[in-house]
Amino acid sequence: MAAGTSARESVKEMKRLKNEPLLLLVIIAIILFVGIFVIYPVVKVILFPDAGTYLELFNRPRWLTAIKNSLFMTLVSTISCTAVAFLFAYVIARLDVPCKGLFRFITLLPIVSPPFIVALSYILLFGVQGIITKGLLGLHVDIYGRLGLWIVQTVTFFPYAYSVIYGVMKGISTNLEYAAYNMGATRWQVFRDVFWPLCRPGVAGGALIAAINVLTDFGNPIMIGGDLALLPTEAYMQINGWYDMSTASVLAVALLIPAVALFLVNRFWVGRRSYVTITGKEISLNPFPVPKWVKWTLFTLTMLISLFVLLVYGTLFYGAFTRTWGYDWSFTWENLQYVFLKGEQIWNSIKYGLLASLGAALLAMILAYIVQKKQVGLNKFLDFLAILPGAIPGMFLGIGFVLAFNGGWLSLTGTGAIMVLALLFWNLPTCYSAATAGLQQIGASVEDAALNLGANSFRSFKDVIIPLLKAPFLSGFVLSFLRSVTCLSVVIFLYAPSTTVGTISVMVLVQSGQWGEAAAFTVVLITIAFTVLRLAQWILGRQGIKLEL
Amino acid sequence: MDAYIEFRNVVKKFDDFVALDHVSLQIPKGAFVTLLGPSGCGKTTLMRQLAGFSEPEEGDVLVDGKRMNGLPPFKRNTPLVFQEYALFPHMTVYENISYGLKLKKASKEEKDRKVAEMLEMFNLQGLEKRFPKQLSGGQQQRVAFARALVMGQEILLLDEPLSNLDAKLRVEVRTELRQIQQKFGITTMYVTHDQDEALSMSDIIAVMRRGRIEQIGNPWEIYFRPANRFVADFVGTVNFLEGTAHREADGSLSVDHMGMRLRVDEDTDLQGGEPVTLVVRPEGISLLGLEEPVPEGTALRGTIENYSFLGRMIRYWVRVGEEVFVIDDANVDLTGARSGDVQLRLDTRKLHVLKGGGADAAG
Repeated sequence: MAAGTSARESVKEMKRLKNEPLLLLVIIAIILFVGIFVIYPVVKVILFPDAGTYLELFNRPRWLTAIKNSLFMTLVSTISCTAVAFLFAYVIARLDVPCKGLFRFITLLPIVSPPFIVALSYILLFGVQGIITKGLLGLHVDIYGRLGLWIVQTVTFFPYAYSVIYGVMKGISTNLEYAAYNMGATRWQVFRDVFWPLCRPGVAGGALIAAINVLTDFGNPIMIGGDLALLPTEAYMQINGWYDMSTASVLAVALLIPAVALFLVNRFWVGRRSYVTITGKEISLNPFPVPKWVKWTLFTLTMLISLFVLLVYGTLFYGAFTRTWGYDWSFTWENLQYVFLKGEQIWNSIKYGLLASLGAALLAMILAYIVQKKQVGLNKFLDFLAILPGAIPGMFLGIGFVLAFNGGWLSLTGTGAIMVLALLFWNLPTCYSAATAGLQQIGASVEDAALNLGANSFRSFKDVIIPLLKAPFLSGFVLSFLRSVTCLSVVIFLYAPSTTVGTISVMVLVQSGQWGEAAAFTVVLITIAFTVLRLAQWILGRQGIKLEL
Repeated sequence: MDAYIEFRNVVKKFDDFVALDHVSLQIPKGAFVTLLGPSGCGKTTLMRQLAGFSEPEEGDVLVDGKRMNGLPPFKRNTPLVFQEYALFPHMTVYENISYGLKLKKASKEEKDRKVAEMLEMFNLQGLEKRFPKQLSGGQQQRVAFARALVMGQEILLLDEPLSNLDAKLRVEVRTELRQIQQKFGITTMYVTHDQDEALSMSDIIAVMRRGRIEQIGNPWEIYFRPANRFVADFVGTVNFLEGTAHREADGSLSVDHMGMRLRVDEDTDLQGGEPVTLVVRPEGISLLGLEEPVPEGTALRGTIENYSFLGRMIRYWVRVGEEVFVIDDANVDLTGARSGDVQLRLDTRKLHVLKGGGADAAG
C-alpha cells in the first residue's frame, strides 16, 4: 500500500511539473542525454555479439582463464590494498608518530597520477634494464606477470581504500574506547570488540572501492601483465589486434557483471551500514596510547611502504632526465624536449579534461539540485541515472561509444567531441556525489530563510545555493579533471591521430621500449594534475574551505 | 477580539497523516501567542502555513484580513526565526542581517542605519564582519533575531528559537525577547514544547495535540483550568483525583473521593452524581501536622514516602491510601524535610473539576 501511495504521489508530482516548464525541459534534456550517452552505448555493447559469440566465452580456455585471472587478481590485490590502507589510516588517525605529513602525501600521490605510472616505474626499477635488477644486482629476471602486477596494483589502488577507511576511522569517537577501558577491557579487547567493529563498514567500503578499481584497471595490466590473460587487456587485444568487436564486447560484458555486482553491493549494502554519527558536540579525548613496540612496528612498516612509493616516483623523475635507461645514465633534457614536440597531445589532455569536467560538474550540480530539493516524482530515477556510469568499467564505456557513434545517425568517431562526451559521462558520478554531499550540508531551512526574507526562488538559488555550492562544484570539477587527464581505459578506443592524449602516448612509448620519453610524459601529466589540485585547494582555502578528495 | 492573524479551519495532510485537523486560531494585534505541544502535534506545521512554506489542503490563513493562501513565502512578509537559526554560512553578520533589505533594494545608508539599530538592540556591535561560524551559539541566535526584525516589526514567527541555548541563557533571552516584543508591539507567534517558556512569555497559549488545538487561553487559564487531562499533564506536574460530583443543599459543589467529601469553589454546571476528575497542582496542596485544625472537607491524611530538596521548595511524594500525591512545599525549613504522617490541605480555590475521566472537554 505504501508503494501504491508513493506511486500515486509521484504521478501527482509529475503532473505539477506542467506548471514549471523550465524544470520540465531540463529534466527531459537530462534524461535524453544520459539515455543517448550512457544507456544506449551500454545496450549496444550487450546486444552487439550474437549468442554464438557469447557461448564461446565458456568454450575458449583462454577466456575462461582471463575471467579466472581477473577475479583472482582482484581478490589478492583487494586484500593487500585493504591491509595497507588500514595500516596507513590507523597510523595517521590514531598514532602519535612523526612524518604523518609524508604519509598523507603518499596516499595522495597515486590519485593524481596516471593509473599505469607505478607499472612503468616498476619496469624501470626491476625490469630487464632495471636500475636495481640489472644495475645493482646484475640479475636478469622476468617481472611481467602475476607477482609484478599484484605489487603494482596494491601500490596504485590502496589510496582509494585508504580514503574510505580513514574517513570512517576518524569519525569513531575515542570516548567509546575509553568507555570500554573503563569497564575493564584490555587493549586487545577494546580493539577487537569496539574499534574493529566500528571500522568494519569503512573496511568493507574501502575494499570494494579498491576491488572495483583493480578489476576494471587497464593501464597496469597492459604494461606489466605480460602474458597474463585478463579481461580488460584481452578485450583490448581483440579490438587492436583482430578488429573483432564481437568478442571484445563479450569480454567487456564479462567484466561488466562483476563490476556492477561490486558497485551494487557497495552502494546498497555497505553504504547503509555506517555507524558513524557526527554530533559535533562531543569532546573526544586523545587516543589511548598503544604499547611502544606496536607503535614503532606499525610506523616502520608504514615508512617502508612510503619509501617504496617515493622510490617509484623518484625513479620516474630520474628516468625522465636519463638518456637511455639501462645503458646510458647520463643527464639529458631530450626526453622533455620530446614531450614539448608532442605538446599537442598534452594540450589535448588538458582541453578534453577541462571541457569534460566542466560539463560533468554542471550536469551533476543540476541533477543533484533537482534530486535533493525538488519533488518531481522522478527523483529516484534521476538519482539512478546520475550514479549509473559509476558501475560501468571505463573500457566498457569506451567500447560502447565506439559501437554507438561510429557512423549512423550520430557519427562522432575520431572527433574531439567523442573524447569529451565519454569522459564527461564517465565522471558524472564523481561530480554528482560531490554535489550531493554539498547540497545535503545546506540545511533545508537556509533556503526557507531566504524565501522568508523576501527572496523569490531564483534569488534564493542565486544568493544562497550557488555560493554554497561553489566548494562542492570545484571539488567535483577538480576530481573529474584529475581522472580525465590520467585516464587511459575510456579513451584508448576512441582516439584518432589528431585527438591523441598524453596517457595514450605513454602507453605507446612503453610498448616500444622508449622509457625515457614515457617517463617524461608522465612527469608532465603529474605536474599538471598536481598544479591544478594545489590551485583549487588554494582558492578554496582562502574561503576557509578544505577540498576533500 | 479583532484578529490580526487568523487561521480558519486549516487542514494539512502529509500522505495519509493528518498534520492539522481543522485548526482555527485568532491572534490579536500585538499579542504574543504560543503554540505549545509535544513533537509531532502540528505546531510547527501550523506556523509554516503562515510563513507559506507549505499550503493547507483546506481552510484559510489571513493576516490583517487579507487571505494569504497561495502567496509564495517571499511575498508574505512574515519573518521567521528558525530553530537552527538558518544563518547564511557564506555571509557576514552584516550581510545576513541586511539581506532582506538588499532584496528590497534599500540604499546603503538605510541598510547601515537599520543594521546598526539591530546590532545595538541585540548587543552585537563590533561583530558585523564575522561569519556565523565565528560566533557563539547565543550570538548566532541574536543575529537570527536581528535578521528577522530588521524588515519591520509587524509580525515575528519563532520556531523553538531557544532550544539550542543552555538553560541559563534561555531564561535571559526569553525575558529580553518579551521586552522587545512588548516595546514594539510585534504580533508574535512562538512554537515550543517547553511549558515554562510558554507560561512565562505568552499572552495567549494554544495547546496542541495530534493536529488539533486542545485549548486556547491565557497562561493562568491553561495552568489552573486545563480543558482536559492532556493539557493539565502537559503544562506541568499535576495530581488527578477521581470521584463523584455532589450538590449541597445550598447549591455549592463538592466531590466525593475515597470516602471524603472535598469542597470545591469552582462554579460549574455539573449535576450531583456525575463522575468527575479533580485537578490540583502540587502547590495547591499544603502539608500540615496531624494535630493542626483544618476546616471540614479540605484535607486528606497521608504518609510521606519520599522528597527532593530543590532549594526554593521541597517536592514531596505522599501516599494517601492507594494514591501518591505530588506536593510542592515552598515553606522550607532551614534544616531538613518533613517525614512521617501528615495532613494534606487542599486549597479549594485551586481545585479544578473535569467531567468524567477528564479525557475530553471540561465541564
